[in-house]
Amino acid sequence: MSLIKEKFNQISPSEFFYRNRDLAGFSNPSRSLYTAVREFVENGLDACDSKGILPDIHLTIKAVDQEKPDPKPYILTVKDNGPGIETKHVPLAFGTVLYGSKFGLKQARGMFGLGATMAILYGQITTNKPVTVKSSTDGKTMEIFELLLDIQKNKPVILKHTTKDVSKKGLSVSICLEGDYSKAGSKIRDYVYQTSLITPYASITFDDPKGEKYSYPRMINTMPKPPTIIRPHPYGTDVETIRRMIVDSQFEIPTIDDIMIEKVRKDLGLSKKNLSFTAIMEKAKKKWKTLSRQVRVVIALMSFLKMDFEKLSKIRIEDLDVPNKKLFYWDFGDSTSKSVEMDPESQYYKQLTNTTQGETLTAFLTKKFQRVGPSTAIKFAEFAGFKPEKRIGTMTNQELAHLSDSLQKFDDFMGPDSSCLAPLGEAPLEKGMTKFFKPDFLTVLQRSASAYSGFPFIVEMGIAYGGEISTRGIKVYRYANRIPLLYDEGSDVVMKVVNEIDWSRYKAKGDPPLVIVSHICSTRIPYKTAGKENVADRPEIERELKLAIQFMARKLSVFMNKRGQAEAAKKRANLYAKYVPLIAQFCTELAGKKKEPNFQKILHDETPIENEEKAIENE
Amino acid sequence: MSKKSEIKAKKISKKALEKQKNILEMLKSHGAKIYEDLDNGQFPKFSIPSRSVSNIVYDKKLRQYILGNSSAIRSSKNTSQLRSFTQLMWLAFFANRLTNEKKSSTLRDIYYSSQAFEIDFEDQSESDNIIVDLEAVTSRPREDFHIFPEERSSIFGDLTIEYTIPGYEGKSMNLSNHPDGYAIGPSLTTCELVDTSAEIVIAIEKGGLFTRFVEEQVDKKFKSIIINTGGQAPRSTRTLLKRLHDEMNLPVIILTDGDVYGEHIAMVIKSGSANAAHLRELTVPDAKWVGVWATDIEKYKLPTIPMTESDIKRCYDLQKDPRYIDGIWKKELEVFLRLKRKAELEAFSKYGLTNITDKYLPQKLELAKSL
Ligand SMILES: Nc1ncnc2c1ncn2[C@@H]1O[C@H](COP(=O)(O)OP(=O)(O)OP(=O)(O)O)[C@@H](O)[C@H]1O
Ligand SMILES: [Mg+2]
Repeated sequence: MSLIKEKFNQISPSEFFYRNRDLAGFSNPSRSLYTAVREFVENGLDACDSKGILPDIHLTIKAVDQEKPDPKPYILTVKDNGPGIETKHVPLAFGTVLYGSKFGLKQARGMFGLGATMAILYGQITTNKPVTVKSSTDGKTMEIFELLLDIQKNKPVILKHTTKDVSKKGLSVSICLEGDYSKAGSKIRDYVYQTSLITPYASITFDDPKGEKYSYPRMINTMPKPPTIIRPHPYGTDVETIRRMIVDSQFEIPTIDDIMIEKVRKDLGLSKKNLSFTAIMEKAKKKWKTLSRQVRVVIALMSFLKMDFEKLSKIRIEDLDVPNKKLFYWDFGDSTSKSVEMDPESQYYKQLTNTTQGETLTAFLTKKFQRVGPSTAIKFAEFAGFKPEKRIGTMTNQELAHLSDSLQKFDDFMGPDSSCLAPLGEAPLEKGMTKFFKPDFLTVLQRSASAYSGFPFIVEMGIAYGGEISTRGIKVYRYANRIPLLYDEGSDVVMKVVNEIDWSRYKAKGDPPLVIVSHICSTRIPYKTAGKENVADRPEIERELKLAIQFMARKLSVFMNKRGQAEAAKKRANLYAKYVPLIAQFCTELAGKKKEPNFQKILHDETPIENEEKAIENE
Repeated sequence: MSKKSEIKAKKISKKALEKQKNILEMLKSHGAKIYEDLDNGQFPKFSIPSRSVSNIVYDKKLRQYILGNSSAIRSSKNTSQLRSFTQLMWLAFFANRLTNEKKSSTLRDIYYSSQAFEIDFEDQSESDNIIVDLEAVTSRPREDFHIFPEERSSIFGDLTIEYTIPGYEGKSMNLSNHPDGYAIGPSLTTCELVDTSAEIVIAIEKGGLFTRFVEEQVDKKFKSIIINTGGQAPRSTRTLLKRLHDEMNLPVIILTDGDVYGEHIAMVIKSGSANAAHLRELTVPDAKWVGVWATDIEKYKLPTIPMTESDIKRCYDLQKDPRYIDGIWKKELEVFLRLKRKAELEAFSKYGLTNITDKYLPQKLELAKSL
């Protein structure tokens, strides 16, 4: 993280934005409006998911001036009923790029800590208006911020901060941005529609600039099992991640929140007492031997910051630059970033550098990776030619590269843990698709977890046919981590697999009214671009998709056969009903009889049972 | 009319009645079988001789194409056959009415009549096909069911007939009273042949020549009955030719244009066509083709026109037909192919309008005796 941040500091945020706007989906007013909608809706859903709250999302887009032609400024507001953001984190979450809470390895829609800020930045650059964030974490008071991003310093500037009494938890973001609804409208409506299909446990409303109201009520009241955060798998790492993990393991910037401060006070026996900075240091020196490493680190930091607990609670440590002997922190009081020098002669500096020596290779492997036990770690060290007790902090660049290589090559790691994934599940998917498409035939399937390059993934899919599906030809709804993918359909792996299937083999010929829903869940979706619109064709993923489709297509063909038979029987019965009476009429005169033969019997025998079709539906 | 021929006529009339009765009986028995099936709760079906190419064989003894032994079941249970089954049932029913009421109808009539009975034929060719089905099932030509084609050919000569069609029954008529000839329609196809002084029947391909022959009194000069086949002889005409041959013991000779199509017109009169392989009463095996032969083109120095691509192709096709593997049939095809030229009957006009009747015809009649 600090590496990216370092890089980020070298250029101005606006430059950063311009350099990355295409990748991030802000290339033009139409696409930007759509992307901004996505970023905020997905943040709201992520926030609710993380706390197990059934989401209520309200999306509003209003033109600032109805009369003006597109592209023109719009006010975009997304409101959710999630947990909100702690007051002191609001400016950072929405005012800095790459600030996010979702870096841990678990499935979430957001990944980069970028989306919201990019949208806000885009809005500010195009309209010069601040973002308004309203957040309530307790359902009693709401904090209302008006923020601008200081483009030069990559810092939020708080224009206004007020509070208000409320009765509901949640967060709402409102920005003013240059957009083109006449072009983006259909995509945004599609997005909302498709999102509600893959999030049947959410209620989503959309008030569009033309005064239309789109409302997708909640279809199920249970939430899928929340994913757990897991450590990375050895196969899923590269030199860069290992380097970052080492930095983290050598010195994790402790989150110095109220809980942490409480713990330090307790360990020092100062729970009730307010001491000055020097008194705290005295106390710590005496109790040093009994203190945990974590607490020692906090004390060491305090020594350089020269702060008491009171002051400490108003800052956040940003970065510790050991080689340059600098400590960076964010001051909530005046919302600025500051730094202090560290004295290398100080014993506390040694405390910090000692820690930076890091742990042994085996400890590092077992603690920082999933699926690595002590014996596997030793075996691996032997395989890679390292001493098991080698300190990771002392590894050279070359050694690190070799370590990374060997991690990829070692065959004895178990497959990655998939508990970090949150597929929707067969039952909710089935329910969602039933309500959406009201098809004649529906089947859903969740494949068991699989992995590519150390990243676990799960494929779940559904196929619906006939009924109220009005589209002709195969329509594919693609999702990744519960995000609908609407752009760049052509190059997507799902489309590739769907197109390679010979559908006529499964009795779906011509332009069948067929809908395929495909959902890929992974801690890392292999997007082709950072615009998050199409999934690259990794062979492992392709294989799972293919197996899933083939399995379901076989069920479809069974249905189609039965339906074909039922239709044929009905057609046959109709033909008999039309022609047999005529035959009877003619042969009666031919045979010179007065009365017609009793042909009702054969007609009756050939009439298909009425509920045959119903029986098929229950397949 | 002589006493002898009177007796003969009576006999024939009785025969015609008998024939009608037989046909009605046969239709009735078919109907009864189907009635029974339905009444027993079974889907009716019947077997029909296969008319596929593989089942059409040439019978050397009969000297015509006939259907082989393979036959197919047509079942009303089979939905792909149900429609045609019903159509055929209707046709039998309709033919039964026609025969009963002695009413005649044309192929086109049949197509339109069906529409009153909710029997829809896609087009006339579909109804024509069903008519052939009926012929195949019953082994009777459609004329027996009072169904006649549109094409008309004509007849002229001393032939006394007696009508059997309603309104004219018993009325007799001599076919030499009207110089334009008499159209061969339902009434002539079903009439009784009572008497004739003719000793030969001359079938000629073209109306123009037919008129010339009447003008030149070929009927009197050569004691003949002249028939204009109007190109390929319609079945009613072929039936009449056969009856003239069989019932009146008259030899039949055929004059056509000097080309491959003319040769085949003669062949069809003689031994039928593959299309009618399911029927046995349409051929005159003893009929003789006397000209215009390919060899005549050289012999009589006739003005010619070149053969077309399709003429040549037709020659090669016919060479594969078993009826063309020997005799003049084979020889003339070869000469046509060698000459690559053809001549029409009218070509004799080069030597005068009556040259054909004065010179050519007598020679050919003489020749026919030795054929
Ligand atoms: N509606 C919300 N409720 C609660 N927290 C939120 C909400 N929106 C954003 N956040 C917090 O702000 C952080 C930054 O959001 P941002 O969209 O910039 O990044 P992200 O969602 O983590 O990643 P991505 O760039 O892929 O969207 C989130 O990680 C989350 O902690
Ligand atoms: Mg986000």
